[in-house]
Amino acid sequence: MKWCSKDLDMYLQASEYVDTAIVPLIPITWGSQKKNVILKGEFPLILSEEIERQLKGRVFLFPAITYLVSERDEEILKRISALTSELENEGMPYPVFITSDARWTGAEVLGDRLVNIPPVPLEHMDEEYQREIVSEQVKHILQIVTKKWQNTF
Amino acid sequence: MANKDEVSRRQFLNYTLTGVGGFMAAGMLLPMVRFAIDPIMKQGAGQDMVAVVEEGKITEEPQRFTFKVNQKDGWYESEVTQAAWVFKDKNGDIVALSPICKHLGCTVDWGTDPSHPNQFYCPCHGGRYTKDGTNVKGTPPLAPLDVYKKEVKDGKLYLGQAEPQ
Repeated sequence: MKWCSKDLDMYLQASEYVDTAIVPLIPITWGSQKKNVILKGEFPLILSEEIERQLKGRVFLFPAITYLVSERDEEILKRISALTSELENEGMPYPVFITSDARWTGAEVLGDRLVNIPPVPLEHMDEEYQREIVSEQVKHILQIVTKKWQNTF
Repeated sequence: MANKDEVSRRQFLNYTLTGVGGFMAAGMLLPMVRFAIDPIMKQGAGQDMVAVVEEGKITEEPQRFTFKVNQKDGWYESEVTQAAWVFKDKNGDIVALSPICKHLGCTVDWGTDPSHPNQFYCPCHGGRYTKDGTNVKGTPPLAPLDVYKKEVKDGKLYLGQAEPQ
């Protein structure tokens, strides 16, 4: 389900079936690194949308948590864990944070809720190959997500 | 005195002016009307059948094929990638099922549930469908998978809209 009122109505009808929030973590800067930083945002967004398409009935795709590259880790993690606990209290026990920013590898607060995918520059590939790469990565993330779901439903 | 059948100058001018005025008004209005209703008139053509795969590649085991559809929603046009599970049934007829689960719209997969290798399986809530798309009782879905309108032409399979069984 997407972050729109039509899908929220669908959620309210079937909230007992939805327990997973997909939240992309996207860095922002307009400094000299912008090309690199945009790449780190583009890829996780594409993947998140594709995962939402495949698992529409059980996940809710959230707007990305964005942060400035210059922002301090503690500040960002504080915001993320505030969201995590809110989700857990409100019937979303499985938040999944999707990022291509290597900054979060090993962040303890995120633990196994973090899915870190190395960014792939899709811009110069032909479409067939792009789709192959995306579907390969999506398959990988699906495995991680469905593993969390084991023995529920 | 003017004859009964004769047209007076006043009448003649009236007729000509109305005629010319009418042509001018029509000339201005028609293109506007065309602009306004054009997308609606074209909509039917946008929902054409799309070539998906050569007939020879279709097996008895369901395979997943993707194809692109131009979706026209009134004035808004976009290209959407759709998928279909395609296979031949016992009689050799081609069946093309929509992969969208009828429960809450996830994408179903063929044979991914180890305990039911010959069924479609929805990873979200364990919904299952038999090979012909019928929903298995006791699992969440309440309706069979949608079936694509299909057509074989020049050795290629063409698919149209997905329709409920």
